[in-house]
Amino acid sequence: MLKDITIGQYFPGNSFLHRLDPRFKIVMTLMYIVMLFMGNEIYSLIFGMVYCATAFFLSKLPIKLFGKNIKPLLPILLMTAILDIIFIREGTVYFQLGIFKLTEDGVFTAVRMIVRIIFLIIGSSLLTYTTSPIQLTDAIERLLSPLKKLHFPVHSFAMMMTIALRFIPTLMDETDKIIAAQKARGAGFDSPKLKDKAKALVPVLIPLFVSSFRRAEELATAMECRCYRGDVGRTKMKIMKAGMNDIISFIFTLIMLCAAITVVVLF
Amino acid sequence: MSIQLSAEHLSFYYTDENGNRTSGDVLKDISLEIEKGSFVAVLGHNGSGKSTLARVFNGILVPTSGKVFANGLYTSDDENIYEIRRHVGMVFQNPDNQIVATIVEDDIAFGPENLGLPSEEIRDRVDEALNAVDMYDYRFHAPSQLSGGQKQRVAIAGIIAMRPDCIILDEPTAMLDPKGRSEVMKTIHMLREIYGITVLLITHYMDEAVEADRVIVIDDGKVIIDNSPENVFTKPELLQAVGLDVPQSTELLWRLKNLGVPVSVNAINEETCVDTLMKLLVK
Repeated sequence: MLKDITIGQYFPGNSFLHRLDPRFKIVMTLMYIVMLFMGNEIYSLIFGMVYCATAFFLSKLPIKLFGKNIKPLLPILLMTAILDIIFIREGTVYFQLGIFKLTEDGVFTAVRMIVRIIFLIIGSSLLTYTTSPIQLTDAIERLLSPLKKLHFPVHSFAMMMTIALRFIPTLMDETDKIIAAQKARGAGFDSPKLKDKAKALVPVLIPLFVSSFRRAEELATAMECRCYRGDVGRTKMKIMKAGMNDIISFIFTLIMLCAAITVVVLF
Repeated sequence: MSIQLSAEHLSFYYTDENGNRTSGDVLKDISLEIEKGSFVAVLGHNGSGKSTLARVFNGILVPTSGKVFANGLYTSDDENIYEIRRHVGMVFQNPDNQIVATIVEDDIAFGPENLGLPSEEIRDRVDEALNAVDMYDYRFHAPSQLSGGQKQRVAIAGIIAMRPDCIILDEPTAMLDPKGRSEVMKTIHMLREIYGITVLLITHYMDEAVEADRVIVIDDGKVIIDNSPENVFTKPELLQAVGLDVPQSTELLWRLKNLGVPVSVNAINEETCVDTLMKLLVK
């Protein structure tokens, strides 16, 4: 029942985008977001859109995947667009009905908002679709490693994220099982009342919590048995090495970002 | 032959965090030695102390009295723990709760990474371990996409990649279906053939214990039988006294014998049982 979530999912592959260094991918995604949210004119969006299209082309992923991510957000998008159109009353009036005014600025703001959100989702999905969760956490660990000097527990933080990602499907399966078991005992999950729904969650959450603690203890023992001592003396199988492709991509991103800034500042 | 694991007058009871005793003696004055390269099965019903014994041997638990040595290292000395765990690997019952990473090959790399090996060597060991447990084709899968038997084989590969001298398996098949069980048992045999690893298999399945070189039966924290499988399973009275079954083939022959059929009861697995029955029928 909870299996349809695609945000944060990874699609293995061997495209140009898949092979890029995850550290670079994270930084470039952040640069892309800046690009996308800069400037107030429609044309300032063009850089972000072109950049995203290039990345999409290099990922060799089917466009359908992205539709699936955007679909659940459609109501929210429509809502913001309608609010923008109703409440922004400046600019040339296209059409008026009573106090309702359809203005140029309103339509522009609405379009800009929708385009930005859609491209934000596509761009960040491109990152998670082409980078395995473990590569992502590794990359975050390395990008944050300067913080180690400030005694920030970077390694523990990354390990926690990895384990969380590892156990999401396991706990989902378990939740399904508990719900089935409670249903077999006559628990009602079908009542439309919110109060009943909340009440029905209690007998699901308590066993789930108890078993999670048990799992945590067993996993900790198993990790210790495999000589885990935090990041003391630990090496990695997959070493991240920036290659020519990473540098070229980074320079391309930098040029796009600079161009976007120039256009916004000059015009 | 040299000794892999040994216990001298080992006793154990559980304590809470303040050191207060919370259980009776789980293990009572156990002394035993396990030779390098042997395949030993530890049998016992639930609560007999067999899992506790497994945990004592790689230093997860420390004896409350007596001494335990793994690879000649004293387990009660904290400084030895890391070295002991390098050499004595442990596989647990629930495969889900021992897989750390989201991708099979990354999980197998976890142990060697903790040992601080260079990355090329880790890569070699991971590929070798994947092949040893016949999971190479699944190296990019997520653990949640695997069956129980496959997950348990990944867990075993994770230990193999650390190249231990000894592997302790604590009821590795208890949560698996029959297919998964036979996969895991096959893997254990293969490890013995390829690496000559010492195997200590904790189990309550007679059919698995039959495959070992030596069977230790534990009841109420004490070793009550320590012998070859042939000698253990051909004496059903002894096993039944501690609430254990005999393997099905042995039981069949015993029932025949009790009915007055002139049959030898030395068969402990299907093959020898079939042979025995064939001899009887052909006569």
